[in-house]
Amino acid sequence: MKKWVKNLLLGACLFLVAAAAALIGIIYLNFISKRIYEDSTTHLGEIYGQVDRSLMSFSERNWGLLNSWNDYITLAGPEVDIGKYIDSKKEYWGFSHYYFIAKDGSYMTPHGTTGKMELDNEYDRLYTDNLPVLSSQDLSEEEQEMIVFIMPEKHSEYNGFEYDAVAISYTNADLAASLNVDAFSGKARCFVIHSDGSVLLSTQNGGSVFANYLTYLRAASDLDDGTLQKMQSDWESKTSGTVQCKIGGVTHCILYQPVGYQDFVLLSAVPQSLISAGFLSVQKTTSIVLLTIFLLVGITVTVLLSLRSYKMSRKNRTELMYRERMFDVLSNSVDDIFIMIDAENHDVDYISPNTERLLGIPVQEVREDIRVLEKCAVNFNIVIPKDVLAAIPLNGSKYWECEYMHQITGERRWYRMTVYHMSIQNVRKYISVMSDRTLEQQMNQKLQEALNAAQSANEAKSNFLSNMSHDIRTPMNAIVGFSVLLEKDADRPDKVREYTRKITASSQHLLSLINDVLDMSKIESGKTSLNVDRFSLPQLLEEISIIIMPQAKAKNQDFKIHVQGAPPEQLLGDKLRLNQILINLLSNAVKYTQDGGKIDFVVTELPQAAPQYAKLRFSVKDNGIGMSEDFVKQVFDPFSREINSVTNKIQGTGLGMAITKNLVDLMGGIIDVKSKVGEGSTFTVELSFALPEPEEAEEWFRQKITRLLVADDEEEICLDIKELMSGTGVNVSFVTEGAAAVKAAVEAHERGEDFHVILLDWKMPGMDGVETARRIREEIGASVPILVLTSYDWSDIENEARSAGINAFMPKPFFASTFWQVIKPLFFEQNVQPAAGAEDEHVMDGLHFLVAEDNELNAEILTEMLEMEGASCELAVNGEKALEMFERSEVGQYDMILMDVQMPIMNGYEATRRIRSCSHPEAKTIPIAAMTANTFAEDVQNALDSGMDGHLAKPINMAAVRELVGKLVGRKDGKKQEDTNK
Amino acid sequence: MKTIKAAAAVILAAVTAFFACGCSGSSEENGSTLTVMGKKSDMEKSYMSAVFEMYEKETGNKLKIIEFEDSEFEVKASEKFKQGDLPDIFMHFNNADLNRFNVSENFYYLNGESWVGDLTDSAAAYCEDGSGNLLGLPFWESSVSGCYYNKTLLDSLGLKPAATQAEFDVLCGTLAEIGYTPICWPADGCTWMFQFGLDPIFADDPQLLEKLNRNEITYAEIPEVADMISWISEAAKKGWFGQKYSETGWDDISTVMSSGGAVMTFIWDTWFYTDFAGGSYTVDDFALMPVFMGTADEGTYEGGNLNMMMANKNSENLEEALEFLEFCASPENYERAFSGISTVSCFKGQTTNIQSDMVTEAQASISAKERVSTAATRIIGYSAEDVAEAFNSLLRGGTDVSGCVKLMDEKRIEEAKEQGIEGFAE
Repeated sequence: MKKWVKNLLLGACLFLVAAAAALIGIIYLNFISKRIYEDSTTHLGEIYGQVDRSLMSFSERNWGLLNSWNDYITLAGPEVDIGKYIDSKKEYWGFSHYYFIAKDGSYMTPHGTTGKMELDNEYDRLYTDNLPVLSSQDLSEEEQEMIVFIMPEKHSEYNGFEYDAVAISYTNADLAASLNVDAFSGKARCFVIHSDGSVLLSTQNGGSVFANYLTYLRAASDLDDGTLQKMQSDWESKTSGTVQCKIGGVTHCILYQPVGYQDFVLLSAVPQSLISAGFLSVQKTTSIVLLTIFLLVGITVTVLLSLRSYKMSRKNRTELMYRERMFDVLSNSVDDIFIMIDAENHDVDYISPNTERLLGIPVQEVREDIRVLEKCAVNFNIVIPKDVLAAIPLNGSKYWECEYMHQITGERRWYRMTVYHMSIQNVRKYISVMSDRTLEQQMNQKLQEALNAAQSANEAKSNFLSNMSHDIRTPMNAIVGFSVLLEKDADRPDKVREYTRKITASSQHLLSLINDVLDMSKIESGKTSLNVDRFSLPQLLEEISIIIMPQAKAKNQDFKIHVQGAPPEQLLGDKLRLNQILINLLSNAVKYTQDGGKIDFVVTELPQAAPQYAKLRFSVKDNGIGMSEDFVKQVFDPFSREINSVTNKIQGTGLGMAITKNLVDLMGGIIDVKSKVGEGSTFTVELSFALPEPEEAEEWFRQKITRLLVADDEEEICLDIKELMSGTGVNVSFVTEGAAAVKAAVEAHERGEDFHVILLDWKMPGMDGVETARRIREEIGASVPILVLTSYDWSDIENEARSAGINAFMPKPFFASTFWQVIKPLFFEQNVQPAAGAEDEHVMDGLHFLVAEDNELNAEILTEMLEMEGASCELAVNGEKALEMFERSEVGQYDMILMDVQMPIMNGYEATRRIRSCSHPEAKTIPIAAMTANTFAEDVQNALDSGMDGHLAKPINMAAVRELVGKLVGRKDGKKQEDTNK
Repeated sequence: MKTIKAAAAVILAAVTAFFACGCSGSSEENGSTLTVMGKKSDMEKSYMSAVFEMYEKETGNKLKIIEFEDSEFEVKASEKFKQGDLPDIFMHFNNADLNRFNVSENFYYLNGESWVGDLTDSAAAYCEDGSGNLLGLPFWESSVSGCYYNKTLLDSLGLKPAATQAEFDVLCGTLAEIGYTPICWPADGCTWMFQFGLDPIFADDPQLLEKLNRNEITYAEIPEVADMISWISEAAKKGWFGQKYSETGWDDISTVMSSGGAVMTFIWDTWFYTDFAGGSYTVDDFALMPVFMGTADEGTYEGGNLNMMMANKNSENLEEALEFLEFCASPENYERAFSGISTVSCFKGQTTNIQSDMVTEAQASISAKERVSTAATRIIGYSAEDVAEAFNSLLRGGTDVSGCVKLMDEKRIEEAKEQGIEGFAE
């Protein structure tokens, strides 16, 4: 059975029970009412019957008293003071006056007061029938009407007054008090009336204002004339009766009954409510009992129903709470947002608690006004447009995509907003589900990006292959072509040299192309690592200058290196990679700057918070052809080369800047470029370097030199030198002209305070550095060392300069360490002479090499090249053979071992380690150089780690071979001498 | 108020009589001359003019009338007294203002005069000083204030007038029960009721008034004052004044009573001849019974306010002055002077005046229950306006019985202080 049917039946049962109970109650109350009314009426009759009897008793007592008092009076002698006698009786019995009454109604009191009573109506009864009379009299000497009890007596005389009756009077109040009638708490009126309705007395104090009760009833009650006549008829016929009427709107019960003497009627008028008071009390009690029973039953039923309802409600609430809790937990664990909106007023009924986590807006704020979500909306203003909601049919739905931004984190999220329009218990609601599509969106974006990247990579690969095909084929074409021509013109030496030079040039270009490609590949694969070691910044700059200066000079370009601030000279970093970065930038500058252009290379020390680090900015500024704005954006992309009439003539792989950028990134720095077509470019690299421990050489340096004179027409350089020397204790004086330098030197000499060193710029307007030096020598002699500071190649003027008295040259820019390196021989190693550069070309003369090379062609080329240098060699086809040949060799048989790395049976590293660990006397000292196509830094490091002393990259560059050999063989000799001394 | 209104009724006749007699100018050459001082309007009463004329004509003596405008009388007369310029005969009501004329020092007590026995008890009582000394000859028109009821209406209801407070309460309750308004109570004239409640108290204990006027006691210390206020309050609550008593004014009484809108009202007999217009009921339908206000079980009537002629006991003409008073008190003369005047008799033998049937019928009750008008006339600091304010505040629920009594006390004492009365001054 359905629940509503059960409830309906239950309600009907309850109604029937209540109706039956009410009916029983009404019947019961009616029954009780009737019985109580009858009883009350009977009781009322009994009460007034007692009044009647009381009045009769009172009257008979008075009449009896009158008789006895009169007997006494008539018998009393003259000596008796009758007045006093009566006064004593009056005081005792409470009457007002005593009267002697004549038959005509005249009277006299014992004290002589006279008057007259109206006894017409009572005359016969009094004097004929000789019966006592009760009468009301309006006596002139009294202020109010009196009730008089009259007793007929024998004719007598009192003080000459003849009388036939005696009487006493009472006021109505006195009489009422004597009767002591107090029925119904005095609220009932009780009268003794004549049959005509005139009132004799009232039992109510003050009730004597009623003159005629019949008249009163006629005027004041709703009784009709017939009833009134019937009532008066009853009175006259001495019949009892009861009448109900309304007096002043209040229902009264009029009871009357004859008193039993004269025509007097005892009448009482009692409000029905007083009679019914008992009934009302019972009714009230019954009602209370019934109501209490009903109430208790009702309360019990209500409590039981409430308990049942409460349990169900609690169960429902609990279930609802569980569901809400589960939903909250569920929604917290997902990234979907659920909102329920009232369709009428758009109030938010529910919003899932994960809203704050996902959108950064407190739930309460959304509850108060859903429009706060608009703050999060991206690219749209209205979160849930009302017109869109209104258009959704009941039980229908609509969805759209939207993007939100987290209000705190700024994170962007994508949602699919699906709004369902439904009716819940006849209340229309919109339920909005914001389904998180962020991952999907991000995935799509990544896929798109990957697709774009793949397409770009594919395009790049195509471009790369295209570029490589072009860039490789071009020099290869030259090599192949000139090789053919070489064979053809083999008997023409001039042609052979020309073709050979061109083949070499093409080979070099092809080699650099291969190096760059490999380098780039290595960097991009993440296999590149930095070889951090102590290096000298001045040395680095000097080496760069040595490399770039000739190139710039070849194009008549003004290349200058500037140092701003006082950057530390010793740094910790990968000098090789830094060098590569700077050479790349400067080489490009030279390449893409027209002849006679200007290139400035500026090193600036930047502020650095950490004292153990130095931050340097390297900027390369040229006034060359510059780059377009679009190309600047991709200048660091691989194989990117701007195509124009100029660049087309310049060879390049398009990988240099990409490698540079990657190296800068690898070193944790930043690279930036500003360029404008036709005006030039400025590349800026900022890098941080750790600082090494300071060298102790500086300490004694400061002790030897304290006065320095600098002469340079650029005052800025003078100031830089002064600043660079500020930490050394050397007092720097400077002038900007040669003549001034002479003067300063002379003056110092005359004071006996010669400068310890004089530093002169080479190219100064007026008197240049050489001339100034000459003049100084003329004035003060040769005691003071004079150095020339120049950024130019001084080889052309060296002889002239030395003859003018210049002791040494020093490259720009000025560094204290470089300065020290230059002057140190002048003060402490006066006999040391610089090695003659010409001797390097013969460094390999007579040397005998052990060459480990598995490739016969390479072995043959190397053999030929060594022979060209005046050296000889023995070949080993792998590392093992090389090890055997070395172990078997005589001491001094080999001057050096050139070791290929990748060889069958035993590679070069292993062979080196074996050689170093073998028992041959020269095992530890024999110079071993790697000779490999593995040219990366780690390859160099691996070679050194295996015990080798140097590294030569293939294809073999003989100049590099000479340099290394010169260094290693000389050291071997030193080592060998040390070992001998030991 | 009642005096003024009653007086207004006879002004015209008096003035007419005065000029008709033309007595002011006639005199005998050899007679003595008495000075008579009083208010101008009082002097102009016809019966006064008549008796003056008779005196001068029949004795040959002269009367020099010194009269002041009513509004200036008290001030100017008292200045004369201060200057020692006292008249032989001084006319004044026996009220609180008489105190400023130093009664005991200046006036002759008349208890021994031959005409005293002819004075009605109420008139004689009114003229006493509170110590049994008769201060003056009451030669004035008067009326009886009491409860005038619609006898016809009451008879038709089978009811009769009350003789006691209990009966009055039952009567009022019975009338209210069957839909009649027992008492017409004018809100703006309610102060008029004040004396009915308190006159019996002062009559029973004259010391009370003296103590009150010496500021030795207050209303709050007289239980009957609270009884009166309680009765008024209860009567109002029970509807005995009708439901719209607060809207009923003094001028509405006539309409209310003539239409049967109320059964009883507290008024004076001559009002029926001066202010009562008649309607469904005429003056013949009304009768008089005592007023009951919770303080006297037997009820009370207020005696008239009588203008007295007092003799200057320090005057050289004292003997002539006493003779003048005796002349006025002669039945022959007062009968002639008051002939046709509607007034209650001041003399027992007075017959030529016109006395209303209502008073005549109730004469026995009046004689037994009439009290001298004391409360409204002799309480120092009494103000009709102040009492009205207190009563109305009570009836509107603004205060309770004790608050009403307190307010009456405060107003009375404040007024007495302003007058600089001894015992009240700061």
